[in-house]
Amino acid sequence: MIAYLSNIATLAAIFGLLAATLNFMVGQAGIFSVAHAVFMGLGAYSGAQVALLLVPDPFLACLAAAVVAGGLSLCLALPALRVRGEYFVAASLGLQMMAVTLFTEAKGLTGGMGGLVGIPQPRIFGVVVPVLPLALVALVVFLLLMAAMQRGSFGRTLGAIRDAESAAEALGKNVAVAKALAVAFSAAGAGVAGALFALHLSFVNVESFTLEQSVLIMAMLIVGGTGTLLGPILGAVLLLSLPAALSFITFIPPTDIGSVQQIIYGGAMALLMIFRPAGLLGDQKRGRSEA
Amino acid sequence: MIELQLLLGGLQNGALYALTAAGFALIFGATKVFHVAHGATFTLAGYVFIGAWNAGWHPALGVLAAMAAAVAFGIAMERLVYRPIGRHEGGFFTVFVAAFGVSIVVQNVIAMIAGRGFANVDSPLATATEVMPDLFLAPVFWISIVAAVAMFLALTIFLSRHPAGVALRALAQNADLLRAYGLSSGKLSVLAFALGSVLAAPAAILTAMTSGINEAIGNHVMLISMAATIVGGVGSLRGAALAGLLLGVAESVVLVFLDTQWAEGASFMVLFAFILFRPSGMFGAAVAR
Amino acid sequence: MSIALTCQGLARSFGGVQAVKGVSLSLPAGQVTALVGPNGAGKTTVFNLITGNLRADAGQASLHGKPIMGLKPWQVARAGVARSFQDLRLFQHMTVRDNVLAATEPSGWFWQPGGAASRAARLARAEAAMEAAGIAGVADARAVDLAYAERKFLSMARILAAEANVWLLDEPASGLDLSSRTRFQDLLKAARAQGVAICLIEHNLDVVMALADRIAFLDRGEVLAEGEPQAIMRDPKLAAIYFGDRK
Repeated sequence: MIAYLSNIATLAAIFGLLAATLNFMVGQAGIFSVAHAVFMGLGAYSGAQVALLLVPDPFLACLAAAVVAGGLSLCLALPALRVRGEYFVAASLGLQMMAVTLFTEAKGLTGGMGGLVGIPQPRIFGVVVPVLPLALVALVVFLLLMAAMQRGSFGRTLGAIRDAESAAEALGKNVAVAKALAVAFSAAGAGVAGALFALHLSFVNVESFTLEQSVLIMAMLIVGGTGTLLGPILGAVLLLSLPAALSFITFIPPTDIGSVQQIIYGGAMALLMIFRPAGLLGDQKRGRSEA
Repeated sequence: MIELQLLLGGLQNGALYALTAAGFALIFGATKVFHVAHGATFTLAGYVFIGAWNAGWHPALGVLAAMAAAVAFGIAMERLVYRPIGRHEGGFFTVFVAAFGVSIVVQNVIAMIAGRGFANVDSPLATATEVMPDLFLAPVFWISIVAAVAMFLALTIFLSRHPAGVALRALAQNADLLRAYGLSSGKLSVLAFALGSVLAAPAAILTAMTSGINEAIGNHVMLISMAATIVGGVGSLRGAALAGLLLGVAESVVLVFLDTQWAEGASFMVLFAFILFRPSGMFGAAVAR
Repeated sequence: MSIALTCQGLARSFGGVQAVKGVSLSLPAGQVTALVGPNGAGKTTVFNLITGNLRADAGQASLHGKPIMGLKPWQVARAGVARSFQDLRLFQHMTVRDNVLAATEPSGWFWQPGGAASRAARLARAEAAMEAAGIAGVADARAVDLAYAERKFLSMARILAAEANVWLLDEPASGLDLSSRTRFQDLLKAARAQGVAICLIEHNLDVVMALADRIAFLDRGEVLAEGEPQAIMRDPKLAAIYFGDRK
């Protein structure tokens, strides 16, 4: 039971981090991406390779994950952000679909379909540490960073861009730089979450980084509410407990459980957008943004 | 000869992409709704046709049923999802998430009913014969080309001759102007969704006859439609159709060098190249901001 | 009298329609130039061409002698050109204070240069701008919750805080009642006294006559006349165009 709960808690922290960093991109900066699982995957593979090839030091793994995911996100962001918002969504959807192929085919780096197995447990100074405290620390660090940015000038810049991009530009703000930084920061956070995910499961393969995963992360954010600090965490906890809740409903055939979950995610996203666009915790006025 | 074979295969696919993308572009142009559930329309139409076929219906009836399903779904999306969101001034993100959510629901409901994995219909029309040494073509190839050209012509004539078509084009240019002339933009949006959705049906049916469809094909269709609209130039139907053709050919020709799993990558590369070097697309006006 | 901003031969067409054809303008420092003309004359397009929001087909523009054509909007803004929009484009979900503070923080990076001293100076600038625009009392309200006139003054406060020496204002006084309009005129007069070059798109002739040192009359993308307000407004041909009696 303890093991089960600690597993759930670890996953909640990891997915909370994913949803919160996606929220930074979507809620703060108004940049819409359906490729968050790609950056999670980049981080997971980088972190896993560091642990497998070098040392199972979690800090090094997370650092590598953040650098790889954040850096590569810029390759997508810099061109795609020069143009309209719809383009970025389209480009991110294309990236998400192509990345699954890339992850499957780049067997040398990702192990292909079989994935990377036997990732060693994280050790700090030679002592094995569970992933739960690491994930909680990472979550808190990122939340604090985001809260600081939200209060500071960078948060104002992103808010200005989200609300009226042309007016932000007319005040001298280099919109492209600010957006690229927001994307890189968000992707770096997703990368760290991916690395912790790999260390936690000691196994990763491409199945964890598909469009379905991106949808799940987005659903967590939508359910919790965009633009709030804690909403995404609540969304992550709620949606992660959904499979357990569904297992109590006995009349669903086990083969359909996956579909039922997806239907609930999808349905929740659509219904919330129609009836409560700011999510459960969100400020409802904010959902009516004209961004 | 494999190159020519792939090129023709690409043309067949591209013709179908062109139809689907033109539908997406028509809806986007007239209503400014980024209708990402267009992929779900495609999936739904394809599975309705397969269902009708398996139930032993006459194929023509199956085609009608598929078209009806596509139109009904398109109109339902307009009335039940986009219009309520538009009423409380939901932004692009709100629309996108809602439509994306519906797509996921459709995909998984179909998976539960029809099962996961590829489904197709076994039609003699899809049997390829050797028309030239080493060159195989099925009747479906000609049907696809003819269907695409015919539907596109019909659409063009409708948009330029019929009063409602002219009004649709006016709506694309300036919604306020239209309101000033007392035309109902609400009815026209419904018309745009009906027309745009019906264009996806033949493409879905012909795809079901040839390569087969699976429950997740909507994602791919969604990507193709968005990519073709952007590559063609936002606001240009002709551009979207041509870009759809281009993407179909690109996905096919890339197989000369790479394995099938990279086909999707080709579309992405074309999209990305355009975003990088010509963000206004083939026919688009410069993006004014 | 020094010229702050000039442009020569600005031209731009949209799909075959010449929206702006060869517009030349000079904005002297410490003067208000009113850009008047019927709707669709190309007034806002001229602003967009100067600020780089639209690319010009032809023409030149320079700010204090330095060419600014081809620069991006944010670069033009940093060079010292502030503009307002007809539809205001406030940062709806941010507080009034944050709206104005954002105008004092040009850097798009994670932090602003200059450290704590600079941060205090920026805050003081923002407070002063809100005070001058008369919206200090609603500093903590969100832009979306403001009344109409307050929104207009918030838009002006952003420009005040940006400390630019050229202002391009797109119908800033439209819809204001008489007392608000007086307050607005005082705001502009104070800026003019400090040497700001102001260009004002305005339909209300009372406002134009009260403020403008010069008028440029724009119709169908061309400057038909430029000069003293009295002289321009007495021209019967221009009046006919303006009041829609064009034959």
